[in-house]
Amino acid sequence: MGIRVSNLIKAFDKTTIVHGISFDVADGEFVTLLGPSGCGKTTTLRCIAGLERTNGGIIEIDGQIVSQPEKDIFAPPHERNLGMVFQSYAIWPHMSVAENIAFPLVARGGNEADTKQAVLWALEIVGLTGLGDRQPSELSGGQQQRVALARAIVGKPKVLLFDEPLSNLDARLRDRTRAEISRIQKELAIPAVYVTHDQAEALSMSDRVIVMDGGHIIEEGEPRKLYRRPNKQFTAEFIGAANFLKVTYKDKNWYAPDGSVLTLEETIIGQEGEERVAVLRSEHLDIRLPTESASNSHVNALHGTIEHVQYMGPHIEYAISVQGVPMNVTHQMDFGPGTKILVTFGPADIHLLP
Amino acid sequence: MNNMNRVSDSVVSTPLVPIFRHASIFDGGRILGAIYLITFTVVALLVAIPLFALIYGSLRSTAPGLEGHWTFQNWLGLFSSGVVGTFYTTLFIGLASALIASIVGTAIAIVVHRTDFRGGTTVTALVSLSFFLPSFILAMAWIIIGSPGGLINGVLESIGINDWKVDAYTKTGMIFVTVLHQIPFVYLMMRGPILGIDATFEEAARASGATPFTVLRRITLPLLSFSITSSLVLTFILSIEQFAIPALMGIPGRITVLATQLYLLVSFPPPDYGLAAAIGLTLSALTGFAIWIQRRIARGNRLTVTTGKAGRLTLISLGKWRWAANTLCWGYILCALILPVIILAYVSVLKYFSANPFEGAYTMRNYVFLFESSSTLRSFWNTLIVSGLGALIGVGLASFVSYFTLRHRPPGYRVLDFIASLPFGVPGVVIGLGLLWAYAYLPLPIYGTLVILIISFITRFLSYATETVGGRMVQIDKSLEEAAWTAGATRLQGIKRILVPLAMPSLQGAYFLLFMAFFREIASAVLLYTASTSVLSTSIWSFFEQANWGLASSLSLVGMVVVFISMYLLMLLTKRRPSLKLLERNKPTKAT
Repeated sequence: MGIRVSNLIKAFDKTTIVHGISFDVADGEFVTLLGPSGCGKTTTLRCIAGLERTNGGIIEIDGQIVSQPEKDIFAPPHERNLGMVFQSYAIWPHMSVAENIAFPLVARGGNEADTKQAVLWALEIVGLTGLGDRQPSELSGGQQQRVALARAIVGKPKVLLFDEPLSNLDARLRDRTRAEISRIQKELAIPAVYVTHDQAEALSMSDRVIVMDGGHIIEEGEPRKLYRRPNKQFTAEFIGAANFLKVTYKDKNWYAPDGSVLTLEETIIGQEGEERVAVLRSEHLDIRLPTESASNSHVNALHGTIEHVQYMGPHIEYAISVQGVPMNVTHQMDFGPGTKILVTFGPADIHLLP
Repeated sequence: MNNMNRVSDSVVSTPLVPIFRHASIFDGGRILGAIYLITFTVVALLVAIPLFALIYGSLRSTAPGLEGHWTFQNWLGLFSSGVVGTFYTTLFIGLASALIASIVGTAIAIVVHRTDFRGGTTVTALVSLSFFLPSFILAMAWIIIGSPGGLINGVLESIGINDWKVDAYTKTGMIFVTVLHQIPFVYLMMRGPILGIDATFEEAARASGATPFTVLRRITLPLLSFSITSSLVLTFILSIEQFAIPALMGIPGRITVLATQLYLLVSFPPPDYGLAAAIGLTLSALTGFAIWIQRRIARGNRLTVTTGKAGRLTLISLGKWRWAANTLCWGYILCALILPVIILAYVSVLKYFSANPFEGAYTMRNYVFLFESSSTLRSFWNTLIVSGLGALIGVGLASFVSYFTLRHRPPGYRVLDFIASLPFGVPGVVIGLGLLWAYAYLPLPIYGTLVILIISFITRFLSYATETVGGRMVQIDKSLEEAAWTAGATRLQGIKRILVPLAMPSLQGAYFLLFMAFFREIASAVLLYTASTSVLSTSIWSFFEQANWGLASSLSLVGMVVVFISMYLLMLLTKRRPSLKLLERNKPTKAT
């Protein structure tokens, strides 16, 4: 049954943090709440966990209403059958690894034999077999993270909640753990809500991403759709490096600011003189010297000048001016500042915002 | 792009539902709710009963329990020349003691922690030890040394100097002993900030070409200025609420401060309870005002930076000033700890007081008496009950107060926080007077029992315990408890399984603190004890008042030994402590 959030409202004192948002998480689905800090994503997660009391709306977990202030329904966290991984891991320093992991079962009154079995199972799943007797202070950050994960799944919860669990790990460990969390969640098929401000985490792990800002849901969709065909400028801006071009409809064609005709993947018919915003991903753009043959052999080509060059190692980042409109391009080839160049891209690489 | 536009076109705007009132306004179950109510009631009664008794008493014409009428006469009495003079004396002694103690205490802390001074560990240990030396024992020792019939004058006389005498029964004597008594407090307060200074501030100055001494003067001391001011104000409060030193040294020399004047008004005929109550309230208002100032300073301090980042602080080389540093540190320890203990030991084995140890008649009778006198033995038991049991109750209450004000925060927690912090800085003798008055009226038969002593000590020192326990509780990241709830634990289970084990070191620390404070407390006991409820401090006090220096000294020494041994045993029991590293929320490292 998963999770259903309808019209959730949360305020602290007089400041409303979450403005009536609604979304579902299907059984086994991995949904990420993505947004800048202060957008209300963590608050939403804490409301689902029961760590915050809501001010309005309904939260259902597995078909049961756990929070509905209008009817004075509030189930405390321990009655919601959750598994939660905290940003700080929240590993209890006075308990061994095994005691930490066993806690959800012990707190719910499980018998000793089953608990032992379940702890061994959880340790194996997260790849910490044999470390049950260690003290948390003897573990590395990555291992602590795994203990937190094991503790969250050991009780076979109805939902898994993740509050920026990877933000304390270094970059390499983060990539590995990301894959690990995805794998475990799919294996157990427990619906999961994952909160992050990191677009790479959101895109790589999720079945669906919900983009939030200012306590509202801006847009939701599958990672590929949000990246390539966003409906909102905020989404395009927040996920990935995007260039925005103002394009104009004239004589049944869309024109770039430099006056060149644009070829789109699908024909979009506008009104004469209509202006739209086009999204171009900097890594989808190509640059070359403006020879005659180059301008003729590409469907979309904009004339520009290189203004700044940043050498990054694997690639080079160029700041380019196209008729005064700034564009960022990532490319492997070397050009000097001041070079006149052509920015080229295929019909599929330009997307007009609705 | 305009923020409002983006929002309104993406969601249907929803009117904000007002904060919903839950039928069960208390979040966390019936047992916890009951504990909260009890905690709130007990703390409120502890504070309100003596407070209202004092206010009531200050407006009545007669002693408690007698017929009388309402009057403002007591408050007008504050403006009599006697009281005004006392007020100025109190301020003068308080300010002078605070100023000198702050300077010397800070100097010792800087010498020990920021120079290449040798023996810093020993100095730290001995200064911390002298922190636990009760002020009345320190005062007694210095009276024996410096009073008109004391050691120094005896020595002077015996070597033929008759026209130059010392007198401890003066303002100078009182300030001297108060300073000795307050220095450990200043030292312990300044130690943290001095060690916590971010090394990069000093390194930046060194890199700019400043000498170590210039760094101290231009960087370190200004960075510490908030802490120094804050300790100055706290020392001032502790000095003006001090009772034992002005009582033992000031009363013989006819120097009264507010605390002793209150005591004299109540203890000696004809008693004037009303004026005493008015003086008590005035004194409390004075300390309350000082505390308010201190809190404001402390809040300002949060803007400046002592990050606690452990860097290598450069030590200043003492060079040719090493003798001065040695004199300062060892001189202090000699005056505040070693000399007093030696003097007490010496006097305790003398038959008659004599300044010359070669002419003294020695005896063990003072010690024999202690163990043969049933009243002294009883005072040992009373002390163990009051300190041992009272501290346990006090820590329990303080833990609940800290839990509710810092973590649970049910409705009204701010009120609880405020009430619980009120008695801090209220002089002990004022609390004693309030309780004395209150229980003359209230139909509870606790006057003349140990219960009233326990009540009075807990009231006086509750805020010390809540500071200790609360300081630890705020360090324990909230998510450690939340993780237990989401893992299926109720609030009570979370407290029992997570919070209490993690806060245990602070609970033990608070117990230690209260035990010592109760043991050395005299001010709030002096108006409340009776022959059968005398504790060690009051027994020593009454021996000394009867001019029996020998018994007072032997009981002081035996009492200190007993208390230090019991504290040592307690410390042995508190070894295993969870690593603090995991307690605190890891700072998210912004890596993208």
